[in-house]
Amino acid sequence: MDLADKAVGLLLSVISLSVFTYYTFWVIILPFVDTDHFVHKYFLPQEYAILIPVFALAALLCFLCMFVGYVMLKSKKKKA
Amino acid sequence: MKHILKILALLVAISAFWIGLLQASVIPESYTWLLPLYFIVSLGCYGVLMVGVGLMQFPTCPQEALLLHQDILEARDFLKNKGVDVGSN
Repeated sequence: MDLADKAVGLLLSVISLSVFTYYTFWVIILPFVDTDHFVHKYFLPQEYAILIPVFALAALLCFLCMFVGYVMLKSKKKKA
Repeated sequence: MKHILKILALLVAISAFWIGLLQASVIPESYTWLLPLYFIVSLGCYGVLMVGVGLMQFPTCPQEALLLHQDILEARDFLKNKGVDVGSN
């Protein structure tokens, strides 16, 4: 049982570290590299570096509002 | 009320710092526009990393689990002798 916990923890840390290094590379280092370097192939166009986090934040906000609304509706129905 | 004021003051200070950076043009402007978003993403990453590290280091105390199990059995027997049935197995 604790091995599964350790595996999940390790997976989470690896995902978070890789996302952080990818994003840092994308936003900070890539604008300094010449445009015909091969490493540009591995990264999406720079507009996506802004679109993806903003879209994720908006989706999270929507999900939170929907959840709060759902819980409020359920509690009101139970009281009535 | 005071806690919200503290948080708002912190937010105003950070925005003032960011606008100051924009005006001073020490860093190329495209960087300054992306800086808040970068910090939000890195904060989220840091949170996930802390959760993962905490999960990995969580102590399970197997001896205490065994002792607890024995305590549960003992309590169940004691209560059964007194007439209360709490067995759920």
